[in-house]
Amino acid sequence: MALPGQKTPDNCPSFKLVIVGDGGTGKTTFVKRHLTGEFEKKYEPTIGVEVHPLDFFTNCGRIRFYCWDTAGQEKFGGLRDGYYIHGQCAIIMFDVTARLTYKNVPTWHRDLCRVCENIPIVLCGNKVDVKNRQVKAKQVTFHRKKNLQYYEISAKSNYNFEKPYLYLARKLAGDPNLHFVESPALAPPEVQIDIATQAALEAEIAQAQALPLPDDDDDAFDS
Amino acid sequence: MDLDTLSRMFVEHYYNTFDTSRETLAVWYQEQSMLTFEGNKTQGAEAISDKLNALGFQQCKHNISTVDCQLSGPSGGVIVFVTGNLQLPDEEHLLKFSQMFHLIPTLEGSFYIFNDMFRLNYA
Repeated sequence: MALPGQKTPDNCPSFKLVIVGDGGTGKTTFVKRHLTGEFEKKYEPTIGVEVHPLDFFTNCGRIRFYCWDTAGQEKFGGLRDGYYIHGQCAIIMFDVTARLTYKNVPTWHRDLCRVCENIPIVLCGNKVDVKNRQVKAKQVTFHRKKNLQYYEISAKSNYNFEKPYLYLARKLAGDPNLHFVESPALAPPEVQIDIATQAALEAEIAQAQALPLPDDDDDAFDS
Repeated sequence: MDLDTLSRMFVEHYYNTFDTSRETLAVWYQEQSMLTFEGNKTQGAEAISDKLNALGFQQCKHNISTVDCQLSGPSGGVIVFVTGNLQLPDEEHLLKFSQMFHLIPTLEGSFYIFNDMFRLNYA
């Protein structure tokens, strides 16, 4: 859903994307990486939201996500329904260097699903460039219980930037073979993740996927 | 001191404390005090202090736009209603807020916050 003054180009399917998660997990940093979206963003003060039009170019043509980003209201408590209403897809973000932000993921998921039933959702563990991780890949199990897609990302290095959008685009288009034919212009990386580290991250995720799912409840994370 | 001046001084002091040393705000509350913060209810000085100190930001800056006040009941209480905006670190946009305090006089000649309600103003 666009704001007044944001015009969707002709023949370009567009979708409202809501991005939620604790304050400080890097939601705004992640959204701002996409440069044309950053240039064309608009702020709506009555809702307290900044809407970034994020364009991606696929083998089936252009697709646009209107990505809704808060002005920090989540740092005071939950968000109001107006933020979620008409959401067609979502990203739930946590910070792999801050345990509490992963513990709060079920609450964000519940709030989101109360308003937006059956929309595609991606769980993103951000800041995997930071050495001192508190949430390891094998501890991230929430997405498996709730049928979400999970990606580890590093907004500051652009690592896996496109993955969440590609997953959502495929789900929304109903085409598992959809792919991006060119990359959007991104802000230059502020940190680097070398190839060996990337390979290690991906190996850990693959290992975690193969582990049996713990049958404990979501609160058992600390044990 | 007239009521308007007193209310204004209280509000300025309260937000100055909130912005610079939030952990000391507990002195303004007592056991019966109630806080409703964005719809979340807490009671008692310690619980209220814990709630305010657990908010997901460190520094912040309250800017006061308006302060209205009225005497409440025969016991010398004062209701104070504030509007303003808040600047958070790493946030580009100000957040508008409203807050209501019900102040009750103490035996020592000061007062404490009996009721406190806070809301961000957005749709």
